Amino acid sequence: MKSPNVAIELEGIGLTFAPESETPTIALNDVHCRIEPGKVTALIGPSGCGKSTLLQIARGFLNPSRGQLRFVEVASGKVTGRPAMATVWQAFNLFPWLTVIENVAFGLEVAGVSKQEREARARKAIGAVDLAGFERHFPRQLSGGMRQRVGIARALVMEPEVLLLDEPFGALDAQTRLVLQEQLSSLVETSGTTAILVTHSIEEAILLADKIVVMSARPGRIVSEIAVGLPRPRTFATTQDPEYAQLFDRIYGLLRDEVMRAMIIESEKADT
Amino acid sequence: MSPAGPLAEPTTKAAAPARKRRVWVWYNDERVLGWGSVALVIAIWEAAARLSGVSPLYLPQPSQIVVALFKMFATGGLAIDLGWTLWRIFAGFALAVVIGAALGVWIATSFRVRAIADMFIAMLYPLPKVTLIPLLIIWLGTGGPFMLTISFLGAIFPIVINTVLGVRQCDPGLVLAARDLGATPQQIVRKVLVPSAIPSIFAGIRLGLGVSIILVVAAEMVVGKYGLGARLYLSGQILETEQVFAVLIVLAALGIIVTKVQDYIDIKLGRWRLA
Repeated sequence: MKSPNVAIELEGIGLTFAPESETPTIALNDVHCRIEPGKVTALIGPSGCGKSTLLQIARGFLNPSRGQLRFVEVASGKVTGRPAMATVWQAFNLFPWLTVIENVAFGLEVAGVSKQEREARARKAIGAVDLAGFERHFPRQLSGGMRQRVGIARALVMEPEVLLLDEPFGALDAQTRLVLQEQLSSLVETSGTTAILVTHSIEEAILLADKIVVMSARPGRIVSEIAVGLPRPRTFATTQDPEYAQLFDRIYGLLRDEVMRAMIIESEKADT
Repeated sequence: MSPAGPLAEPTTKAAAPARKRRVWVWYNDERVLGWGSVALVIAIWEAAARLSGVSPLYLPQPSQIVVALFKMFATGGLAIDLGWTLWRIFAGFALAVVIGAALGVWIATSFRVRAIADMFIAMLYPLPKVTLIPLLIIWLGTGGPFMLTISFLGAIFPIVINTVLGVRQCDPGLVLAARDLGATPQQIVRKVLVPSAIPSIFAGIRLGLGVSIILVVAAEMVVGKYGLGARLYLSGQILETEQVFAVLIVLAALGIIVTKVQDYIDIKLGRWRLA
C-alpha cells in the first residue's frame, strides 16, 4: 500500500437536522479541523456532541449544511478526490449470514476481486487479527471481542488510506477493550494508514492517537486540540507514564464541563 | 504484526454447556406424546363406531376408511387425482414465489412502487380469495389457466407482504457497512437486503403455500372433474363417507409433508440464525 498523503480539511463545517422545522437541531457548528495523513486523530466529546456525525461527513454519507470538506494532497497542496476509506463500527455490523472469511472478503467481492485472490487476502487479514482457524464460523458463534476483530479485518483488508473507527470498542467489556486497544494500536501503526477515532474513552484516545480533538456539548464545536507525544508502541504500561497522567487530567478537565453541559441539554430536552 | 501474548481472549464457543440429561420416561418424550395421542383418538373412534352402532354413513370406522383409502389408490384413480391437485397447486405457487419475491423486493426498495402497490395490496389482500372464483370462471373458464390463477393469487399476497417486511426490517447498520465497503445500490439489494430478508420471505412462502392448497381444493370442489377437491365433493354427494374421510387423510398427509419439508429448508437456509 502506498503511504497516505492526503490530508482531510474540515472548514467551518456545520450540520443542522430538520432546519425547516420549529425545533431544528444544530448538531455541529463551525468545526475547523485538519486530519493529517498517516496519523491517528481522535475525536472525543460528550454523548450527542456530533462526533460520529462528523465521521459520517468525512466518509461522505452525510452532507454538511455549511462549510467545506476538502481532501488535500500534502506534497503539492492540490485538492484531490476522496481517498479510499473503510469504517469499523461500534455495532460491528457484520453480516450474520456470512462466515468470518466471507464477511472479511465482502468488500473485495463487490469490487470484483477473483475468489482465489480475495480468499487469500481475507485469510491474511484474519491472521493479522489473530482469528486464524475461525474462518468458517458465523459471527453468532464468536464473542464480542472476536466479532470486532472481524470488523477490523474487514476494514483493513480493503487497504484503506483512511481508517474510520466509530467507537470501535464501545460495545465491549473493559478487559476485552484493553487487549483490543493494544492490538489495534499496533495494527494501525504497522499499516501506516490515516485514522480517525471517535471515542468516549480518554484512555483509548491517548493510547491510540497522535492528536486528540476535544469537542463541546451540542452543538458540537472543537474546544481544543491536544498533541500526544507519548512514544510508541503504546501499551497498558503507557498508562503509568507521568505524561499520560498529565494528558488525562487535561482532557478530563476540558471534558468535564462539556459533559455537565451535555447532561443539562439532555435533561432540558426530556422536560419539553 | 500484533503482539501475540495478551490476546488470549476467552471464546464463547470453547465449551458448550453440557445439556442436562434426564432419565427417559415415556410421558416426557415429545414423539410418544404426539403420536400416542393420535393413536389414542383413533382407537377411541374405532371402538365408539363399532360399539355404538352408528351408521357408517355418518361415522365410518377408521379401519373401513383405511380399506377405502387403499382401494381408491389401487383401483379408483386417487393417485391421478392427487397428481392433478399437486400440479395445480405447485404450478401457481411456484410462479407466485418467483414473482412475489421479486415484486416484494421492488416494493420495499422503491418509494414510488411502494406508494402504488400499497393501495392495491390494501384492497386485495383482505379479500377472501374464494370470492374471486365466480369471476375467474367467467373470465378463464374452469381449465388449467383458472386453476393456475387461483393458486397464484392465493400464494402471492403473503409472499409479497412478508418479503417487503423482511427487506424493510434489515438492520440499517448492515446497509451502511456494505456501502462503506463499496457495494453499489444493486449489490446492496442482492447481497444484503435479500439475504437478510430470507427468513421472512420463507415465512411468506409457508403461508402462501397453505392458502394455495386451500384455494385449489376449494376450486376443485366447485368446478373440478379431477383432483382431490372434486373427489371429496363427489364422494360426499353419493354418501360414500369412508371415501370422504380417505380424501381428508390424503389432504392431511399432504399438509404434514409440506410442513416438514419447509421446516427442513428453513433450517438449511437459516444455519447462521441457529448457530
